[in-house]
Amino acid sequence: MKDIINRFLGRSQKASKEDAKQRLKFLLIHDQVDLTPGQLDQMKAEILEVIARYVEVEGSENTEFKLEKGEGHVALVSSVPVRRVVQRAKAS
Amino acid sequence: MSECIVVTSGKGGVGKTTTTANLGVALALLGKKVVVVDADIGLRNLDVILGLENRIVYDLVHVVEGSCRLKQALIRDKRAEGLFLLPAAQTRDKNAVTPDQMRELVGQLKEDHDIILVDCPAGIEQGFKNAVAGADRAVIVTTPEVSAIRDADRIIGMVEAAELPEPKLIINRFRPKMVEAGDMMNKEDILEILAIPLLGVVPDHEDIIVSANRGVPVAFDEDSIVGEAFRRVSRRISGETDVPELTFDQDSGMWATLKRWMGLGPAREVAR
Repeated sequence: MKDIINRFLGRSQKASKEDAKQRLKFLLIHDQVDLTPGQLDQMKAEILEVIARYVEVEGSENTEFKLEKGEGHVALVSSVPVRRVVQRAKAS
Repeated sequence: MSECIVVTSGKGGVGKTTTTANLGVALALLGKKVVVVDADIGLRNLDVILGLENRIVYDLVHVVEGSCRLKQALIRDKRAEGLFLLPAAQTRDKNAVTPDQMRELVGQLKEDHDIILVDCPAGIEQGFKNAVAGADRAVIVTTPEVSAIRDADRIIGMVEAAELPEPKLIINRFRPKMVEAGDMMNKEDILEILAIPLLGVVPDHEDIIVSANRGVPVAFDEDSIVGEAFRRVSRRISGETDVPELTFDQDSGMWATLKRWMGLGPAREVAR
């Protein structure tokens, strides 16, 4: 109900404060470890290269590398969907 | 017991000087003996915000260099019993003073005054280091904007690195209507991110511009909502624990009542 009225009042767009909050959280984590989003992307690409030597990665658009704030530390959390093991014998 | 509080923010233009001036006035009106110190050497402004610019003869650099006595440089604000300004030098730079000299200066000021409020320059370099050198605790000023909050987070880290106790936060330039529309972070959003205790929320208001034009801090104005916001913050700084939260209920027309009735908020406490 509230949503419908909000839409009627022209508030259908997501509140911009949510953007501000999300961007800030992201920014502060990157500031804390002094790793820019660009560097993280680069690291992701290099790590995926290594992983691909062992397993076949299911489309890089499905992989996720992000920094998350934990209790007193920042964690690098990644999720890499894997299709199957690369034929090692052939490779070597 | 005397104490020295540094007012800092990292980012420029969030209202540090205005906040320092108004807290100085409000604390003096509470009966404290207060000195506000302009630590922004080279870009002094606390004097203009307080309307005391025409009375400066000596400044902070003269004092630390020994070319005048401390008492000669202190400007007494005749409008508020117990309020003094120690102005910054205008034609020198931050390197004219060292952290050790600031520490000694604050020590001297503490002998005759209850509260020393230091207006810290923007940035994280020498000026910041000087301003925090003599401080016992810090007050962080921020606005509900991504850039200001990011810098506040950085400054909180630096305050802790300087081995001061956990700083407290003032949220300045708060706009209740934008918060209500979801276009400005509210108090809880900001506290969730910065995770330090809140001293108070100060609304964005035309009174601030007018008071700066006149050189009369808004804390003198008993009818001003912004003045009231600063007075409440000053009561919390001086140790009062039961100061009620200020509400900004500008939206009190028929339409607002109707929206409230329909459950569309804002409730009475718009400041949330």
